Amino acid sequence: MAEDIAIVAFAQTPSYRKYHDSEPSMIMSLVEQIDKEVDIDRYDIDFTIAGSCDYLSGRAFAFIANVDGYGAWPPVYESHVEMDGAWALYEAYVRLQLGDIDTALIVGSGKSSPGKPLEIFPLQTDPYVSAPLGVDPVSAAGLQARALLESGKATERDFAEVVSRSRRDGLSNPYAQVAKDIDADTLLKEPYCASPLRKHDLPPISDGASAMLIARGDKARELCDNPIWIRGIDHRMESHHLGLRDLSDSPSTRIAAKSLGVDPASLDVAELCVRYSPEEIVLRQALQLGDNTRINPSGGPLCGHPVMSTGLTRVVEAARYIRNGDAGRGLAHAASGAALQHNLLCVLEGDS
Amino acid sequence: MFTYRLELTNSCFGSFFPHLGRGLPLRHEGSTKPSKPFDFFGSECVDLALVVAAFVLAEIDQAWDRPGQDPPYLMVHYEPSSKQGAVTMSEFPISFTLEFPYTRTPGPVIGRFLTGLRDGRILGIRSGDRILCPPMEFDPDTCETLALDFVDVGPSGTVENWTWIAEPTSKHPIQEPFAFALVKLDGADTVMTHAVKASGPEAISTGMRVTAQFREERVGAVTDVYFVPEADAEKQSIEPGEGEVEITTHTISLPYTDTLYPHSARFAQGLLDGKFIGQRTRDGTVSFPGKGYDALARVVLTEADDVELPPVGTVLSYTTIAPIQYKGQTETEPYLTAIIILDGAGQTLTPQDIRNIPTDEFRVGMRLRAVFKPAAERDIDNVDNDWMYPSIGNVVDHWESSGEPDCPLDELPESV
Repeated sequence: MAEDIAIVAFAQTPSYRKYHDSEPSMIMSLVEQIDKEVDIDRYDIDFTIAGSCDYLSGRAFAFIANVDGYGAWPPVYESHVEMDGAWALYEAYVRLQLGDIDTALIVGSGKSSPGKPLEIFPLQTDPYVSAPLGVDPVSAAGLQARALLESGKATERDFAEVVSRSRRDGLSNPYAQVAKDIDADTLLKEPYCASPLRKHDLPPISDGASAMLIARGDKARELCDNPIWIRGIDHRMESHHLGLRDLSDSPSTRIAAKSLGVDPASLDVAELCVRYSPEEIVLRQALQLGDNTRINPSGGPLCGHPVMSTGLTRVVEAARYIRNGDAGRGLAHAASGAALQHNLLCVLEGDS
Repeated sequence: MFTYRLELTNSCFGSFFPHLGRGLPLRHEGSTKPSKPFDFFGSECVDLALVVAAFVLAEIDQAWDRPGQDPPYLMVHYEPSSKQGAVTMSEFPISFTLEFPYTRTPGPVIGRFLTGLRDGRILGIRSGDRILCPPMEFDPDTCETLALDFVDVGPSGTVENWTWIAEPTSKHPIQEPFAFALVKLDGADTVMTHAVKASGPEAISTGMRVTAQFREERVGAVTDVYFVPEADAEKQSIEPGEGEVEITTHTISLPYTDTLYPHSARFAQGLLDGKFIGQRTRDGTVSFPGKGYDALARVVLTEADDVELPPVGTVLSYTTIAPIQYKGQTETEPYLTAIIILDGAGQTLTPQDIRNIPTDEFRVGMRLRAVFKPAAERDIDNVDNDWMYPSIGNVVDHWESSGEPDCPLDELPESV
């Protein structure tokens, strides 16, 4: 039987086009927010784990410097994943299952502004047959978009509608970097950049971070009045060869949802890691989300894409929606790799 | 009031490195008084005009930048208005390239595939009743290890999916607009991601026939080949190379541009002004240079925590360097290099060369004063956001005795 684990507190920075200070200072202000919200001494946090990527800002061992951000003195029990903070949450969740410690602080952070993401991200792909070709995420998303079009699962208008709704929702998200009231007709007049994708189908380049404190059952109730329970968390990955995948579908997402027993009818909100507009259509179909589920009320990554915290921020946004009373049960999704190669799902629920 | 100018640049540009400037496609001017220079998005009381300007730029800059150009980013130059005293805040651009030469053994399957490409052949591997191309070491469905049973496929095939890359990155295999496509080679059952050279997006479609073209110089890499529409293909006669490809090299080279963080910029400006600016941490010690935060107390530090240290310090250690002569060596005479801690600082400076004090007069505990170079000769080229040791740039001409008595050895300041 899995331990009851809940999100006690969470915080995020805005998505900045360029954050004019160090990553540790960005993390520090975030962790301070959480400390202020929860009555917990920072020395009493049992486990700390971060997700970040040194390549983004090109600073070797940047993840070590980031430890300054959450406070490393006296020495803390900590870990790191070279993945989105959502996977740090996964490790923390698994760690708390052991039952010997009660609390974990999770941070996801990244500064993409100093580098060139399109040149960095091919390095995530197969080093023999993909990386030397510079196969980048935008190109992979372009292939995914055409797979959707040619399978009849979506139209270019569907992509534009995703962008229009997301960017409009972003207007009420104080953390959004790009937001605009713009209709699909106007968007469809824009030229292609990686056809059939247009520039607005792509996320902005962002710097940013998010963080959360999770705790086991009794401790969670002690630390806050309205814990957001993690009812399940799972992640699945597909082949590293684009050619071996059906890009118009996301079987890994479907398998993760099945293993969690996700009932789409029970979901009031879904925060999906839609970095490229076609991804929303793939995910919606894989998760069988219906009209009862509000998708990306925050505007999603199309309004701010702080790589390495984008996925964790989906969990933060879904938790916020539940804590505000706008939803009882929600789903957060994080993605990694090209064209939704690797997908993580997290089911959240408020105290009913 | 500050006057500010917001610029969207496609390169590093700043008052101290004007040679790096390369055009300013967009400019917005106005005035505001930021509560916190540099951090205009995070600042709580920013003039509305600035927010609007930033928003406009963010809109323009919303997508991941297509290649061939530096990522445009926002830079803010603060200049004192005529009514204000001499308050100058400038950004200091920095840029660097991260390079790693990756050398990999491709193994028996990818090695054969790469050898094939070098020799003008495309090889697939048999996996059950399927032919996989590119070949894999295992069956992607069952994970069973595959026998080394290779099959020639192609050189022509069918486009199953494609995207037109209007602006290639410098890492793409074709440096003009091209298509990434999923190509199912004749004889193969899986598709390969590769580049197709075509005259434009109208010249490519799903289902069209393409043919492999091998490059003249082949090194045993996936980039030895590319595809063209079948009708455009030229007949090639490829001379096979010798031996198997056992090593593949992939040098990654990534450019980065940034600006000095606010506290680093104040530190750098201090050096140019002939001042040592550190930051006082919560336990009272001065971090020099500051980090912008206090790591032990875990609090963010601000300009209010800046402290000017005197240009006077104590020798903690030193050594004599006897230059060994080698090609390119410019030193001929022995000289000293010393570890100096400034009065009030929590850590030492990078080793400082001493050439004006005779070796036999130099000693631990000696009190020294920094003599700055003339303002025009000071530079901060080696100052960046990531000091391993507190660098003080090239602003000090030499160190001289301060005239004070030595610090007793048992009273030497502690340092990190």
